[in-house]
Amino acid sequence: MARKVRFELRDLTRIAVFSAIIAVLGLPGAIPIFGSPVPIVVQNLGMMLAGVVLGPWAGAAAVLVFEVLVFAGLPLLSGGHGGAAVFFGPTAGYLIGWVVGAFVIGLIVNTGTRKPQWWRVALGCVVGGIVVVYGMGIPVLAWVLSAPIDKMALSNVVYLPGDVIKVIVATVISLALWRAYPQSFVRTAAVTARVEEPAAHVSY
Amino acid sequence: MAPAQAAQSQPQSPSEIFLDAVSVAFGDRHALSRVSVTLNHRRIGVIGSNGSGKSTFARLLNGLVTPTSGTLRVSGLNPVTEAKEIRRRVGFIFSNPDAQIVMPTVAEDVAFTLRGRGYTRAEIAVRVTATLERYGLAAHADAPAHNLSGGQKQLLALSAILVGEPQILVADEPTALLDAANTRRIGNYLLDELPQQLVLVTHDLALAARCDHVLRFSEGRLVDQGHPAAVIDRYANAVEHG
Amino acid sequence: MIALYRPGTSLLHRTPAGLKVVLFMLVSLAITVAGSTPWALPLALVFVIVGYLLAGFGARELARQVFAVRWLVLFMLVAQIIFLPPLVAVGNAARVLAVVVLAALITLTTRIPALLDAIDRALRPLRRVGVNSAAVGLLLAMTITTIPVIAGFAATIREAQRARGAKLRLATFAVPLLVMSLKHSDDLADALAARGVE
Repeated sequence: MARKVRFELRDLTRIAVFSAIIAVLGLPGAIPIFGSPVPIVVQNLGMMLAGVVLGPWAGAAAVLVFEVLVFAGLPLLSGGHGGAAVFFGPTAGYLIGWVVGAFVIGLIVNTGTRKPQWWRVALGCVVGGIVVVYGMGIPVLAWVLSAPIDKMALSNVVYLPGDVIKVIVATVISLALWRAYPQSFVRTAAVTARVEEPAAHVSY
Repeated sequence: MAPAQAAQSQPQSPSEIFLDAVSVAFGDRHALSRVSVTLNHRRIGVIGSNGSGKSTFARLLNGLVTPTSGTLRVSGLNPVTEAKEIRRRVGFIFSNPDAQIVMPTVAEDVAFTLRGRGYTRAEIAVRVTATLERYGLAAHADAPAHNLSGGQKQLLALSAILVGEPQILVADEPTALLDAANTRRIGNYLLDELPQQLVLVTHDLALAARCDHVLRFSEGRLVDQGHPAAVIDRYANAVEHG
Repeated sequence: MIALYRPGTSLLHRTPAGLKVVLFMLVSLAITVAGSTPWALPLALVFVIVGYLLAGFGARELARQVFAVRWLVLFMLVAQIIFLPPLVAVGNAARVLAVVVLAALITLTTRIPALLDAIDRALRPLRRVGVNSAAVGLLLAMTITTIPVIAGFAATIREAQRARGAKLRLATFAVPLLVMSLKHSDDLADALAARGVE
């Protein structure tokens, strides 16, 4: 298998399932917390978890698949938003930032078969989920609005507390998930090394 | 490359399933220990308690599980090295239809099986329509698959397997999640009408009793086999007396 | 799920999905390049009116689309209002609103499968660099199929926790949701393998 990144079946279904989780996090009434109508509310929690649980490539792919479906017209963003519009509005940079952010989170957390360390998960979510997302979102926002970038950055501070809470929640969930179902974090590379699930091997 | 497509719809003479000292281990857990058996019956029932190895046995037959040691042949093919051909010849149906439906609509999911088999779009459409009609799903062809009822979903999963015209159908507790009426419906179809050879893993002893031959697994070993009534009788005794 | 598509037979409905996306990109580029010049807004307004007329929609649909992005408008205004003169802020927001409302036209006039097909075709040249466009198509379809399943898991968990009288909290909700979903993904992988998918 000469290709650099090759997803096996198990990765494909995990990507699809995680994209679906991100979508479900945006469905009205699906999630028992503050039902805010403002778009992109808990869904970035799903994006953080995708990076933590699936790793860089599959995590970024899950976010990308979700966004392609949004682009194609499925109203999957919080509040029933969707369609091509969100990719050409001021939030476009944030959406790109989600894909890159999930990748960065996967790189930093890098669990595989080991127990995820809380500080790595937290650091990954801060860097990938906040620094990268804001880093890509704010310049695009400034460009789209032809407004000064430093001022746009300042106005984004409003969203910081909520995102910090999501980092904490993502960390708590990741550690609890490890206790509940450690196989969640197993990458295909690790699966290949184990004899346990030969079903994963369908590459010829 | 071209699979044997001849005479697929009529009742077929059963192929031979041959295991010689087949063991399967997951890590240090033995799921199957030195199972040897030759089967060429049309309706094969597989019974045993949870974790007895009966599901692992079923999964061996289409290459979902690889033997750790021993020799395994299904109609002359090695499911490990000839997995691609085996998956065309051996259809596999699971308990949970939700986990088997991959495409959004009923017709698309059935058509999905025929992808990459060298059929034209028109040929695929003809086969899909015929299959949906046979299983009473034609009215739902363009409906979202997940809007179907539980019994209809399992019928869809079955249609999606049988449209590929396998020679053998392996069913791993296909009625476990169904209500009594749907269990009877699916059970009757599998046992009485299915043209293919059937390997039926089931907890439902009434279904097992209607097979031609029954295997009983316990703790990873094939502990009993033979005429259904006799095997089931001994199983009931074993359960009662520990 | 609410479908964002509005059936119709207008010129825009009949235009191929890929072409629509390209045309839209050109239009939005023109509006963005015009940027803060005085004619950016009139230009944008002309595009919006012509666009909605070509799609056979009236002022009502346009109003509905503007209302749908009210939070986005608020977000833009909040981002600017503290630092920029109000007139500039409103002008910027209006220009962006025009682009967003135009982009909505793609979604309003194109069925989801047509857009997915267009995406699939756009990816095909990438096959040479190793992008498996068949796998991408499967992935997109499988995700659409899986969304109601996961939503069903979410509903089950909510009910179970309510039945136990547990207070609903995000973490105690998310962990079982993730476990059920990941187990489901393993079952799906088995089913795909059994169906001969490579």
